[in-house]
Amino acid sequence: MTTSLFFIQLINGLQYGLLLFLIASGLTLVFGVMGILNLAHGSMYMVGAYLAWYFFTHTDSFLLSAIISAVIALSIGILVERTLIRQLYHRNHLDQVLLTIGMIFVFNALQSLLWGNDPQGIKVPDLLSGSIPLTDTLSYPVYRIFVAVICILLAAALYYTINKTRLGMLIRAGESNREMVECLGINISRLYTIVFAIGVMLAAIAGVLSAPMVSIVPGMGEHVLIACFVVVVIGGMGSIKGAFVAALLVGIVDTFAAVLLPSIASMVVYILMALILLVKPKGLFSN
Amino acid sequence: MANKNNLRHLMFGLAGSALLLTPQAYANETIKIGVMLPFSGAYAALGSDGRNGLRLALKEHRERLHGSNIEFIEMDTEARPERAPEISSALLNRHKADFIVGPVHSGVANGMLRTLRNRDTIMIVPNAGSAEVTGALCAPNVFRTSFSSWQTSYPMGQVAADKGYKRVVTITWNYGMGRESVDAFEESFTAAGGEIIRKMLVPFPRTDFQSYISEIASLQPDAVFVFFAGSGAVQFALDYDALGLRERIPLIGSGFLTEGTLGAQGKAAEGLVTTLHYADELDNPNNVKFRELYKSEYNRDADLYAVQGYDAGLMIVEAIDQLQGKVKDRQAVIEVMRNMTVPSPRGDFTFSKAHNPIQNVYLREVKDGVNRVIDVAMPALEDPARGCNM
Amino acid sequence: MLFQKRSERLFIWIFFPLMLMMPLFLDGNIFYINKLSSILIFALFVMSLDYLVGRCGLITLGHAMFYGLGGYIFYIIAPQNEAVNFWVYTFYICVISAAIALIVGFLVLRTSGIYMIMITLAIAQMFFYYFSDSMEFGGIDGVFLYLKPETSFLGIKMFDLDNPTHFYYLCLFSLFNTLVFFKVIMASKFGRVVDATRENPERTTALGYNVFVFRLASYVIASALGAYAGYLFSMQYGFVNPSMLSWQTSGTALVMLILGGMGSIYGAILGTFAYEGLHYFFEHLTEHWMLFMGSAIILMVILLKKGIAGYIEKLLEKRS
Repeated sequence: MTTSLFFIQLINGLQYGLLLFLIASGLTLVFGVMGILNLAHGSMYMVGAYLAWYFFTHTDSFLLSAIISAVIALSIGILVERTLIRQLYHRNHLDQVLLTIGMIFVFNALQSLLWGNDPQGIKVPDLLSGSIPLTDTLSYPVYRIFVAVICILLAAALYYTINKTRLGMLIRAGESNREMVECLGINISRLYTIVFAIGVMLAAIAGVLSAPMVSIVPGMGEHVLIACFVVVVIGGMGSIKGAFVAALLVGIVDTFAAVLLPSIASMVVYILMALILLVKPKGLFSN
Repeated sequence: MANKNNLRHLMFGLAGSALLLTPQAYANETIKIGVMLPFSGAYAALGSDGRNGLRLALKEHRERLHGSNIEFIEMDTEARPERAPEISSALLNRHKADFIVGPVHSGVANGMLRTLRNRDTIMIVPNAGSAEVTGALCAPNVFRTSFSSWQTSYPMGQVAADKGYKRVVTITWNYGMGRESVDAFEESFTAAGGEIIRKMLVPFPRTDFQSYISEIASLQPDAVFVFFAGSGAVQFALDYDALGLRERIPLIGSGFLTEGTLGAQGKAAEGLVTTLHYADELDNPNNVKFRELYKSEYNRDADLYAVQGYDAGLMIVEAIDQLQGKVKDRQAVIEVMRNMTVPSPRGDFTFSKAHNPIQNVYLREVKDGVNRVIDVAMPALEDPARGCNM
Repeated sequence: MLFQKRSERLFIWIFFPLMLMMPLFLDGNIFYINKLSSILIFALFVMSLDYLVGRCGLITLGHAMFYGLGGYIFYIIAPQNEAVNFWVYTFYICVISAAIALIVGFLVLRTSGIYMIMITLAIAQMFFYYFSDSMEFGGIDGVFLYLKPETSFLGIKMFDLDNPTHFYYLCLFSLFNTLVFFKVIMASKFGRVVDATRENPERTTALGYNVFVFRLASYVIASALGAYAGYLFSMQYGFVNPSMLSWQTSGTALVMLILGGMGSIYGAILGTFAYEGLHYFFEHLTEHWMLFMGSAIILMVILLKKGIAGYIEKLLEKRS
């Protein structure tokens, strides 16, 4: 592998990792604050991508469809939390796993009913459709760089919100001591609704941002889901910082494994995960 | 319009999944057609197109059915191979289906063949292209209206050599169909003096291709041959274009690269050259008529999968017609079918000894979002049916 | 007495005689017999999962790994063109999968709760990808087994596995034995310690028991039986496929388990039958069966906290 190819693959890995972080951040946030394991998180990613496609074909504006999709995702999040997730706060993880498996079924069926099963795609917004030449054959699309930048900005925003704002203070308090927060007269129920809805919205935004880069197909959420689990577990469940580090690690390892170890490429990230859990059973940055 | 159609299907389904086509007054015998296609999951679009095509053929040629009641029994395979033996056993043993049409997915085909080979039914495969179906696992009661993986890729090796490509990289998913397609390409390409400089196998069903394409760019081949279908095809074409290779290194492939995917691929598919046994634009009366009929019936454009399902329907119609509804004599049905010329929208085809179509393979290029036929890559091509003793 | 609860005895007295007579009612209809056999096989698998999840409190999302391994081990060790002895290979498969479970269990049981769910999932995915990317095991398309084992024991031929009715009775026999086996374990001292490790691991440790060893032993037992179920499945249609190991298979088994009633062992049978029944019903109703199936699962989790078995128990208690 030449040095230039090495750096190109490194960029590929970082870019993939950043996108993984964006999807996984919602999953780990919801788990960290509420102790809820949401297997339907991948479905939210799928919903985001389909919404973006649907509104883009109707409005022809990527920005507009992104905003509408994010708002709809937020509402779905509130609705699902108020009606279903709320039932699970005093239940064990097994019930959460099962209820959210049921949700996967429902979202898949709704997707097929509402939008059909043909693969769909949307074109990259004109403003971002250029590319930057890297070598004489390879060039890098501006849109992917844009997505990477957005991911970094969102990561920074999450970090700021959690560490510097009142909401973040409540979230951190909720993570460490639920009863305490309640005693302080904070409406924990509303906090949970907000956090869950934000989690759903993050997954949907990742779907929206991916829409111009990927084929929008049934079942796209389930592929992503398992990758997110790996990220969340390696990083330490509930840790945003951990998810960030783990996502980049998984992105890079997966990218290099694909080219260097083709015969076991899809096993490598799971081997990585198993090894890390052997050394640190609760992940890299567990609380 | 997809959503409305689906809602209608839901209603249909709720009203009962069996659909009787002919008025009871003329009824004599009920002929059962089991349909084993994926109606949910990643292959659902292919499944519903195949089903639509099949139903269209039987509806269009209603008057040739000698008053038989046609009953469809539809089963969702979910493209899950492990469910295949059970579902096909249901159609065979419980419903006593006279014909079983399916599947889309080669893994499911293997499972179905386990239960249906040499049994008392006629199996018609409307898609799954794995070599075994009409190769090592061929059987008198198994027919295929689609293609073999070999057929759709072998001609491309010759085309590539004629275009003057010397060094080619191949890339595909690491599964049966993918490896078979790439091998068939290699067979004719190396015979014509070409060289495969790298064979890349991507774990199925991974669709993250960026790192592979970066690698391809550094190898600087004359062309890249791929086999991908569905979401993989969309994704590969998008990534190949996004990373700027489309204009620098020609991308060629088995026709599935640009089949049913052009809408999602957009301009990323422009200029891609592929070989396949069908193209939407084929200029023959059967095709024009079929496409009009399909569009008016289902309010969506027909595609390859619809054609293959339609041809399975034509085979059934022809057998019923010739035998005047007496399809319980399977031996007679097999005799009719193996000697049949199917007036397919892709052009007439006949069957090889192994029951695979002997058909033209077309050379196509994507222009303005359509697969245009440039030429016939190989006329009346017959699959070598390796391992079949029929 | 082995079966202490009234509901349990009632179920066993109804279910097994009914199933024994079933082939008479079905009058040799191969489809229904095959369908029932595959449900019995899966019920056996779910039962082994119930022992892990319900009795030991070890939640795994990777149990399907052993289901698939049962099939693949059989494919790997059995000669291609020679009918092997069923009982001998049952022994081999249980021993080999137990050995694998010993190693895997050693790793995963270091964690607990949500982390255990995740690491079992990861390890199962590793095996899933190993088989689906391998060329020698047919990759994603799976492999075929062309010969069924013969079942002579001490010179007596017991079942003819090519005959669906015989195979059905083998499955029923296996399920019954598994049920009794788990009941014996649960009633033994070993089983009581296992119950204690679930309820209060700290106190169990304080009493001088090594919790880890008890969990590991349970994990090995449940995994070997899970593999046995996979072995039966692969034999039924002569077909092994990587999707047997997928996390969806594990997930489905968990859904069946909760539907039937966790921890009751016999609930596994109820859950498997109920799930298959619902699936069959919705699938014939509409091609969008997932919508109804998903809603049914959601409702069930919210409303039926202790599953069907729990519901029956409550009904019987009220009357007595």
